[in-house]
Amino acid sequence: MSENGFALRMQGVTKRFGKHTAVDSFDFEVPRGSICGLLGPNGSGKTTSIRMIMGILNPDEGSVQLFGADPDVTRRTKVGYLPEERGVYKKMKCLELVMFLGEIRGVRRAEGRKRGQVWLERLGLSSWADKRVEDLSKGMQQKIQFIGTVIHEPELLVLDEPFSGLDPINQDVLEEIVRDFHAKGTTILFSTHLMDQAERLCERVCLISNSKKVLDADLAALKAAERKGIVAVEFEGSDSWIQGPEIDRIESINGGLRLILRDGADHQAILRRGVAADARILRFDLVEPRLHDIFVRHAGAGAVGDSGMPVGANLGGAS
Amino acid sequence: MMWMNVWAVIRREYLQRVRSKWFVAATVGGPLFMVAVTVVPAYFASQGERAERELAIVDGTNVLYERLAPELEESGWTVHEERWHADVMTELRQAATDGVIGGFIMLDELTLETGEAIMYATNRPSTIRQVTMRSSIARAALEYQLEQRGVDADAMLRGGGLRIELLSDEGSDMEDPEFAVAYLGAFFLYMIILIYAVSVMRATLEEKTSRIVEVIISSMKPWHLMLGKILGVGAVGMTQMGIWLTFGILMFATGLPMLIAAQPELASLDGLRDVLPGAGMLALFVGFFLFGFFMYAGMYAAVGAMCNTDEEAQQAQFPLIMLMVVPIVMVMNVIENPMTPLSTGLSLFPPFTPILMWARVAGGGVPGWQIALSFVLMLGAIFAIAWLAGRIYKVGILMAGKRPTLPELWRWVREA
Repeated sequence: MSENGFALRMQGVTKRFGKHTAVDSFDFEVPRGSICGLLGPNGSGKTTSIRMIMGILNPDEGSVQLFGADPDVTRRTKVGYLPEERGVYKKMKCLELVMFLGEIRGVRRAEGRKRGQVWLERLGLSSWADKRVEDLSKGMQQKIQFIGTVIHEPELLVLDEPFSGLDPINQDVLEEIVRDFHAKGTTILFSTHLMDQAERLCERVCLISNSKKVLDADLAALKAAERKGIVAVEFEGSDSWIQGPEIDRIESINGGLRLILRDGADHQAILRRGVAADARILRFDLVEPRLHDIFVRHAGAGAVGDSGMPVGANLGGAS
Repeated sequence: MMWMNVWAVIRREYLQRVRSKWFVAATVGGPLFMVAVTVVPAYFASQGERAERELAIVDGTNVLYERLAPELEESGWTVHEERWHADVMTELRQAATDGVIGGFIMLDELTLETGEAIMYATNRPSTIRQVTMRSSIARAALEYQLEQRGVDADAMLRGGGLRIELLSDEGSDMEDPEFAVAYLGAFFLYMIILIYAVSVMRATLEEKTSRIVEVIISSMKPWHLMLGKILGVGAVGMTQMGIWLTFGILMFATGLPMLIAAQPELASLDGLRDVLPGAGMLALFVGFFLFGFFMYAGMYAAVGAMCNTDEEAQQAQFPLIMLMVVPIVMVMNVIENPMTPLSTGLSLFPPFTPILMWARVAGGGVPGWQIALSFVLMLGAIFAIAWLAGRIYKVGILMAGKRPTLPELWRWVREA
C-alpha cells in the first residue's frame, strides 16, 4: 500500500458544462493520512471536483488517481463517500440500510450488522435500528448516511459538506469522529464553506474560487507565513494615523479594529504615525490571520461568485 | 466479491418489495379482483329479476313441458306446470298481478309446428332472456319432431362435430384450443409484464432522484446495479406468480371437489377444469413472462435512468407502452387467424412475442419449432436490449438536467 505518498491526486483536471467551466485545470494532492479541507464559496467547483474523484463525472481533461492508480471500482470501494445531496432508501430500516451499504463494498452481512450496531450506539441511534429511515428526522438520517459512509472502514473518506444540516452538538460529535479516523490513519478530504470548521480540523487546505485553485498548502505553515499581514489595534483619540499606503482595508471586529496590510508593508511605520498623532494605543498586536482573511487575500477582489456576490460577502455570511 | 454487490442489490430489491404491504395486497387482491370482474357481474345478472323468475307453463301439447322445463331451469327460471282448464288464464293472470309468479307461457299445437308461443308477463324480460327462452322453446319443439322421425336430435342440435386431422406432422402437443385461455392469458401477460417492468423504472428513478445512486455507483459498476435491480424485481414477479399458481392448483385440485361434494348443485363448476391450461401451457406462460419481463425491464430501466421526474418518465415511456399495446390490439385477430403469415410474423417479433405467441399457442396447432424460434429470438433481443440499455443507464443514471434527445441518446450508447 505504498505506491506513492498520495491517497488522491488530480492533475490538470478540467470540467466544462456547456460554455461554463466548472473546474479549470485543477492540480491537487491529498497525502496519505492527512486531513484536508476543500474550501470555497458556493458554486466554486468543490462538488464538481469531488464528483470527478468518485467517478460520477468524467473530467474533460486531466486525470484523477486514487492510491496511485486509475480509480476503478475496486479502488473506489476503499473510499467512503458522503455526497452533498444526501440520499437514502427511505423505506428501509436503518440497520438494514447500513448493512446494505456495507455489503455492496464487500462487508459480509453478519459483520455489517455488528459494525452497524456499534455505530448506531455511538451516534445515539440504537433504539432506531429497526425503524424505517423515513421515520427519522433529517439530521438523524444524515447520521445514518454517515454510518453508511464509514461502515466498510475505508482508507480514504471523501465528505462533501459533512457538517451542513447538523445542529452544533452533532457537528461536534461528527468533528470528533473525523478526528478519530484521522488518528487511526484514515486519509480525509472534506469540502466546506465553513471556514471556522476547516480551521479547527484541517492540516492542509485547498482554496478554490471561480473554478480555479487559489491556494493549496499546509495550514500551520500558511498561517505562519501570513502572520505579518494583520494588526489588531485598540486605541482612544485620533484615528487619522490608521490611514496610509500600507493599509489595504480595515475591519471592525468585537469593538476593536483589524488593519489588513498590503503585501510587504511595514507595520512599524503605522505604529510610529500613531505615536506621532498622540493616540492612546491600548493594543497593537500582530495577529495570526483567520483562514477567512487568507482566503480573501488570495482570491482577491476579482473573486466574484456565480451569484455576483463578492466572495468575501459569501464567506462572511456563512461563517 | 465481484458478484457480492449484485447479490446485495437483488436481495435488497426482493426483500423490500416482498415485505411491502403493496405486495401482499396485490398477491391477495389480484385473484380476488379477477374473480370480482368475472364472477360478480354474472352473479348480479343472474340475481336480477329473481321475483319474476317463477314461471307457470300451460302445456296444451303434453309433450313439450318435460323437454322445456330443464332448459328453462338451467337458464335460471323456476317453472311449474299448470293443467289446462277453463279458468286457468284468469287464475294465472291474477297470480301474476299479485306477484306470486312472474308470468306464464301458453304452449299449443302451433308451438309444436312453428316454435311460436305466447308469454304473459308483468314485466318485459331482457332481450337476452327472450332469446334464450325463444330458442329453448323452438329447440324443445324441434327435438320432439326429430325424435318422431328417429333422428338423434340432441347431437345435431349441439352443433354436430368436426374432428380435425392434421396432414402435416407439425402439430403442436398443446392442450385444446380455448379462447378464454388465449385471450385472458395474453391480457394477463400484458399486465404483469408492464407492472413489473414499470417497477424497475420507478425504482431506478427513485434511486436517481434520491441521489443514493451516487453512493452506490461509486462502489459498483452501473451495469451490475441495473442487473441486480432487474433480477430482484423479476424474482418478486416469479414469487407472486408462484403463489397464485400454487393457490390456483390447490383450489382446483382439492377445493373444488370438496365444494361440489358439499353442494352438489354446483357440479356444473366441475366443467371448469377442462378449460384450464395444462402444465405445459403454464410453463410456457411463465417463460413468456420471464423473457418478456427481461426485454421490457431493460428498456424501462433505461427510461428511468434518462429521466429526472415522474412526469418526464411518463412521457418517455410512451414508445414502450405503444410497443406493448400493438400486440394487445392485434390479439383478437391473431386468436382468430393464428396461422396466417401475418400472425406468424408478428408473433415472432420479440417485443410482441409474449402476448401474440401465447395467443397463438393457446389456440393450438402452432409448430413446435416456431415456439422454440420465438424464444431464441427473444433471448437475442434480451441481450441486444441489455447492451443498449446498459449503456444508456450508465450515462443517464448520473446525469442531471434535461432529458436527452434521440441523437444524444445515440451518443451515450456509442461513448459509454
